[in-house]
Amino acid sequence: MNNKHSTLLGGAGLLAMTLPVSVVVAGEYLSVETAQRAAFKQADRFDEIDLTLNADQQKAILALAGPQPPHGKLRVWRATQSARLLGYFFTDEVIGRQDLISYATSIDAGGKLGEVEILVYRETHGAEVKNRAWRQQFAGRDNLAQLQFTTDIKNIAGATLSCEHVTQGVRWLLALWQTTLHGS
Amino acid sequence: MSCVSSERSALSRLRTSFAVLAVLSATATPSLAAAATQAELEAKVQSLAEQLAALQAELAQMKAQQSANSSSAPASAPAVTSATAVPSSGSASPLSFFGYGELNYSQPRDNTADTTADLARFVLGVGYRFDDRTRLVSEVELEHAVSSSEDPGEVEVEQAYIEHQLTNSIFAKAGLFLIPTGLLNENHEPTRYYGVFRNFVETAIIPTTWREGGLAIQGNSEIGLRWDAGVSTGFDLSKWDATATEGLESPLGSIHQELALAHGKDLSVFGALNYTGVPGLRVGASVFTGGASQGQQGFDGAHITLWEAHTRWTPGAFDLSGLYAHGHISNTQVINTALVGNPTLIPENFFGWYLQGAYRLFDHGRYNFSPFVRYERFNTAADYAALPAGLTPDTLADQKVWTTGFNLGFAPGVVLKADYQWFRDSALSDRFDLGIGYQF
Repeated sequence: MNNKHSTLLGGAGLLAMTLPVSVVVAGEYLSVETAQRAAFKQADRFDEIDLTLNADQQKAILALAGPQPPHGKLRVWRATQSARLLGYFFTDEVIGRQDLISYATSIDAGGKLGEVEILVYRETHGAEVKNRAWRQQFAGRDNLAQLQFTTDIKNIAGATLSCEHVTQGVRWLLALWQTTLHGS
Repeated sequence: MSCVSSERSALSRLRTSFAVLAVLSATATPSLAAAATQAELEAKVQSLAEQLAALQAELAQMKAQQSANSSSAPASAPAVTSATAVPSSGSASPLSFFGYGELNYSQPRDNTADTTADLARFVLGVGYRFDDRTRLVSEVELEHAVSSSEDPGEVEVEQAYIEHQLTNSIFAKAGLFLIPTGLLNENHEPTRYYGVFRNFVETAIIPTTWREGGLAIQGNSEIGLRWDAGVSTGFDLSKWDATATEGLESPLGSIHQELALAHGKDLSVFGALNYTGVPGLRVGASVFTGGASQGQQGFDGAHITLWEAHTRWTPGAFDLSGLYAHGHISNTQVINTALVGNPTLIPENFFGWYLQGAYRLFDHGRYNFSPFVRYERFNTAADYAALPAGLTPDTLADQKVWTTGFNLGFAPGVVLKADYQWFRDSALSDRFDLGIGYQF
């Protein structure tokens, strides 16, 4: 390897050292508890719901949400302050390109989405989905018509599958809230 | 009182008690220990100790209650009764299967006898997660349906690498992996690009699907910066076939090694930087450089550098992209001198660029429809190193190609494509293409 190569590698190494790095704990970027507190700062309780749906409910949700990627485990919590409902907090998993992405989001009592947080990302391809600016696109939306992939939720070229599948997953959660959780 | 606030209150009282005890201990000096005062102090200490014990019990009870609450469903949980809450999942197994494929039909305008129908690619991939930080990614590709000594097909291992997550934002890779360059090389599945065939620039200049064996690191930051760096095998200029035209179709495609008993004396290095911090925008550039003589006699000093810059912007229903790529092979003068008389000498410079615009005209459920237009200009032999008078080959004219057509998605991961291509200043005939592609 000549001097030019060494310089390039050295430059890449230097760049690597100057970029923000945080120590990973088993591939987890954010704990569920931290994400819950970030979503509902005033909450004094998070009660997990044992959520199961019958066939009609699933059909209704899918009809609203549209096509879905394979999902992993879904968990739902009610966030309350002095017994007053603040909203729901969700953790869900959708397939990225080949492996599952664990993400979290929330829906307040008025049906507005909170930010999307990536809890665990397991593959190099599509890792750009962790971008803060991309995740912030969801916050404040309360209508499935405002959650169209590429037009409302802009894509990240090179991370299309991850972006599309997380968007589809969030659509499913909002549809779940609209059909089942709202008013319960 | 709420669970959390009552816990805080108890903790606060506990801290106050400790503080009082500490103050009492510090001030209970022998000089102040008159008999009556000491008895009072002992009574107070006893009282505080009892309060402390009560508080500790209260705290333990509240923690237990809180833990129970968070793991059981409250009475107001939704009245739902079935066992499955979400669409199907394959998350339990560490093994994953994936793949893509493309079939196409291409009819030239001038000579319809050259019309072809082809199962161009059939790719199956296997992933395996060894633990929460370490994965195998592999893809095996069959090109042109049948691979044998009498058929045009090839079987190739397109990717086979281990990736390991070092930190929240940094992955390492080792093995046979795709070089992070351009817009297509790492995203080459048919559902990811417009047109039946991959664009010419990212085929003739950047030899997509281009992979090398080596080590690489990749980092991503929350502000949208992705960087890649690595050391890998490189090109082998001794593979150049001056008697064939393959080198004019894709200079680097004709001399890449694909980790098939690759000569590894001269390693290459690469780096790429991409910014995606603004939703819908990607801007990036990459460089790959390294020796290409691989210690083979007669190819001393050969060195290859390929660099490119690209952008893609998707405002609303538009999808706009552009790319410029440039390749340079140094020290070709001596090598070409020995090849004079053959039809295909080694170019010193080659380049290409394209601009592409698409518009998602229709997007409803599983159906979407996006017409597009692309203009490409490229030259696989834009320049040759000077040879003695009369021996330097003529450079090629820039090839210009207009492509227009549409992608019709009719199921997640499935696309039907059609396009028409006009070739300017090229020996190729204008043609109509039809194709179907999938990815899962």
